[in-house]
Amino acid sequence: MSVSPKVPKLSKKKVSNLKKTISILGIIITFFILYFLQIDLFNWFNIAGIKPNLFIVLVLCLGLFIGRKYAAPIGFIIGIYLDVLAGSQIGISALMYAAIGFLGGYFDKNFSKDSKITILLMVAGSTLLYETVVYIYTIARNAIPLEFWGFIKIVLIETLFNVLLTIILYPLIRKTGYFFEETFKQKKFLTRYF
Amino acid sequence: MNDLIKYKKKGMASKMRKDKKNTIVGIIITILILIFLVAVSNIKVDKISQIGNPFTKFVNNIQNGMVYLKNRVAGNDQFFINVDEMKQENENLKKENSQLEQSLRELEILKAENATLREYVNLTDKYTEYSTYPAYVIQTDISNYSKTIIINAGKKDGIDVNMTVISDKGLVGHVISVTDDTAKVQTIIDTSSTVTGTISTTRDSIVARGVIDSNKELKASFIPTEANILEGDMLETSGIGGIYPKGIHIGTIKKVVNTKNITNRYALIETAVDFGKLETVLVITN
Repeated sequence: MSVSPKVPKLSKKKVSNLKKTISILGIIITFFILYFLQIDLFNWFNIAGIKPNLFIVLVLCLGLFIGRKYAAPIGFIIGIYLDVLAGSQIGISALMYAAIGFLGGYFDKNFSKDSKITILLMVAGSTLLYETVVYIYTIARNAIPLEFWGFIKIVLIETLFNVLLTIILYPLIRKTGYFFEETFKQKKFLTRYF
Repeated sequence: MNDLIKYKKKGMASKMRKDKKNTIVGIIITILILIFLVAVSNIKVDKISQIGNPFTKFVNNIQNGMVYLKNRVAGNDQFFINVDEMKQENENLKKENSQLEQSLRELEILKAENATLREYVNLTDKYTEYSTYPAYVIQTDISNYSKTIIINAGKKDGIDVNMTVISDKGLVGHVISVTDDTAKVQTIIDTSSTVTGTISTTRDSIVARGVIDSNKELKASFIPTEANILEGDMLETSGIGGIYPKGIHIGTIKKVVNTKNITNRYALIETAVDFGKLETVLVITN
């Protein structure tokens, strides 16, 4: 096959659309990779039988880098899909993932993403929030007696696990994150600190 | 001036390189910490004792030497007069011991073989009154709270909601939703699942539910005050409640915790099924 000498020049809009498509495909592929990690790898690679929840990190980062306008609906879809696939109750995790996407957008407005510590604190905070609300909802809905220490143990270990994994994945998150930001948001002239 | 800029640039570059290096070192350290945590939290006590073996050997040998010296000094070394004789005897005993050990091992193998054969016979005997459909566990839960599993049999295979799921050891749970090819099973260790059990010896009924941070325990609270409950008793399904048929083995009562007020006492039940290693299940279809 011969290469045609006339390469049509892509317009700026087309390039941005292409980038958006690639990004969305990337998000979907990431979701499935995380899903299989979650059900296969972390089944044996766990701390005292407790698995991390990488979907929280995914949705939070989407909120941070592409804004709450996209992240909240994506979080909602991820939550519903996870509930249908593997959960025993439908709705609460969808709501919570949407809330975390929204929260990510809020964090982006008020904090810098350039500092590793702030991102780690955000991950820890959202994990605590997500797990606490889901647990309270579960025990209230099914009339389960509260097991306070068991719950605290699970939440703390899960938060620690999430934070450790975020430290490992941080360079990757940063790189892809800024690529996403470029595609989804208008260019900014000011960079914020803190 | 130019030199200054150059110097500044060079300084920046080296700083950036240093930052990058620090990041990589940080990531490696975190990975090591993570692996360490996972390994330590999943290690079994018997393995630790094996690691401890050389240490105890070292200490014990020194202690032996000390005692020997002490006896020598104190003059009560009569014991060592026939040391050669004893050495000979020791050799003979060792030989005998190894022979005995070997035959013991052979016996163990025969015993295990016997047990598995008996299991096969029992399995078909035990559940002949039910028609069952075999399935593999293809997925465990992604969340830490709920303990549902997914099996590779669905509507096409005649599976429906509320059917009981068992394994060769005992009760697993019940089906909560089905697709064409898969079914979601809520296990009995899930905190939102309850099962009514009958104690095999006294025929008292208790209600057991899953515990949040355990994969092999059920907790039975609200035990009737007049019920007799003893550690080591077997628990089987009572047939009350509508989902589970009567007489399926649930587990053994591991511990009864008595409180000041008798109505508050509770029991911990060890499930017969090891949910960490559950691979194949049977769905009762009638």
